[in-house]
Amino acid sequence: MNLSAFRPVLWPSRFPISAAAHCNAPSIRTPVPATTSPFSSTARLLKRKKGGKNVTDPRVTAIRYHLQHPLTPRPLHFSRNRYLRHWTIHRAWLLFLRKRRRAEELELERQYMAMRAACEHLRLMDSNGNQVSEAEAGGQGPDAGTLGPKGKEVGRLYRAAMVKRGVWGSVPIEYARIQTDFPPREGWNHGWTRN
Amino acid sequence: MNVGQQTTRRLALRAGRSVCRSCKDTISRNYASATAAAVQSDDQIAQHVPPVAQTAPQTSYRINAGVVLSRPPQLTRDLHPFEAAYFLYQRRLNERTALPFTRYFYYKKRTPADIEWKRKIKQRLTPARDIGRYKGYGDEAWNDELLVGAKESDVEWQVEQLLEDAEQTGAENQTEEGNEEPTVASARKKVAHEPVERPMPRTTEADLKNDVKSLNRLLQRTLYLLVKDKEGNWTFPQATLEKETLHAAALRILDQSAGVNMNTWVVGNVPIGHYKKDYHEPLTTSSGLNEVGLKTFFMKARIMAGQANLKDNKFGLTDFKWLAKEEIHKEVPWEYFRSIRNMLADR
Repeated sequence: MNLSAFRPVLWPSRFPISAAAHCNAPSIRTPVPATTSPFSSTARLLKRKKGGKNVTDPRVTAIRYHLQHPLTPRPLHFSRNRYLRHWTIHRAWLLFLRKRRRAEELELERQYMAMRAACEHLRLMDSNGNQVSEAEAGGQGPDAGTLGPKGKEVGRLYRAAMVKRGVWGSVPIEYARIQTDFPPREGWNHGWTRN
Repeated sequence: MNVGQQTTRRLALRAGRSVCRSCKDTISRNYASATAAAVQSDDQIAQHVPPVAQTAPQTSYRINAGVVLSRPPQLTRDLHPFEAAYFLYQRRLNERTALPFTRYFYYKKRTPADIEWKRKIKQRLTPARDIGRYKGYGDEAWNDELLVGAKESDVEWQVEQLLEDAEQTGAENQTEEGNEEPTVASARKKVAHEPVERPMPRTTEADLKNDVKSLNRLLQRTLYLLVKDKEGNWTFPQATLEKETLHAAALRILDQSAGVNMNTWVVGNVPIGHYKKDYHEPLTTSSGLNEVGLKTFFMKARIMAGQANLKDNKFGLTDFKWLAKEEIHKEVPWEYFRSIRNMLADR
């Protein structure tokens, strides 16, 4: 791979015109010596190094290559038939995604509705397990401040179920295990005992 | 007692419709007189109920709490064939759109890693290790598609390639330079191999034996704990609710039915589903009520480690199984499954 195209054409040290020159201010800067080490801001003494050539670090060249490549990203060029195939594959993928997402949505909705139905059942259930009407329970609608004749004993389990205190404090760390592609070597820990 | 509280209380007592019920409860809880007044008024209302309703024997339902103890999926799901093919197609296209791999940046010249890289890239023509030979540029660029049934589209082949790549150390790289296309087999002989650990198979021993008591079975699916009660019915662990909340009941039932040697977590306070059954003939309970049916409210729980143990259980359970959703369908009566199927996860 020829990387010469990514060597800098304009080496900054060869042009000691700094920003101060544009401000019509007398330049008090001394000319900066040519740096040979691009990762360091300290000027290196050229006499120390034999040859004293301006050698670009290959890593800098590679970084420039990645940042300034003219083909980023490289375009996809397809023939007509190949493009049509690609388009068909793409449309099929979108259709597949849509079906899968719909199925996932429906599953979540089923679970939510099961939960909701259970809660609704609890809300209007008295202490004997019978369903009461909204009027008997009270506490609803425009006259929310007044309980119905059975208001006290209706929905005790519902009110307890709606308590959110400490719900997030109890999540165990073992629950954070993610799904993997291959099972663990030991398998499931059947021998776990409590203390 | 400051002025602000008094105002709130007065508001709450005067116009009930402007303060919600829970707020009103909170406010009046601090004042014994207000609570007493409320209780009195409730009693008065209750006394106004005509006594006709009292003469008929009152009905009641038995209220159960059930625990849906589940083991979450341990493995990622198997890919749909179309998904797998599409992912491979996209990974191969990516080799065409990405910038060429910069060897000089990652490998120092004439190091073993550099030489190893050169040898590999000559074989597979592309930096990716598990997509087969791919060349998106040059004269043969048009011919970059796989045919149907190619070995590269097999997931096991891709895993094998990754493992093989990990095994090659690059210590000896005496491949024949003159050969234009060194076959994989001839190159493999020359390179030193350092064996790596193979991953465990995705189908376990319990899968092959169909061991329904093992938690190693069906690792891609959610497994639910079902127990066999005294009458021989398979149900979720359940028991009659005492004076407790559903969450507390779930904890108690888990301990009393399947033992304490399970690392479990009852997910929340909210039931995830319910099952209602009416008896053919009402029973008379000890308190003189007519029990006409039962209602079970299910709580969700997860197991992270351990195994169920029915020894010394308090409910006379005789057997247990860990089953996936469709297997539950085969074991339980239809009306039971109809009530629980919506709360179970498909996967």
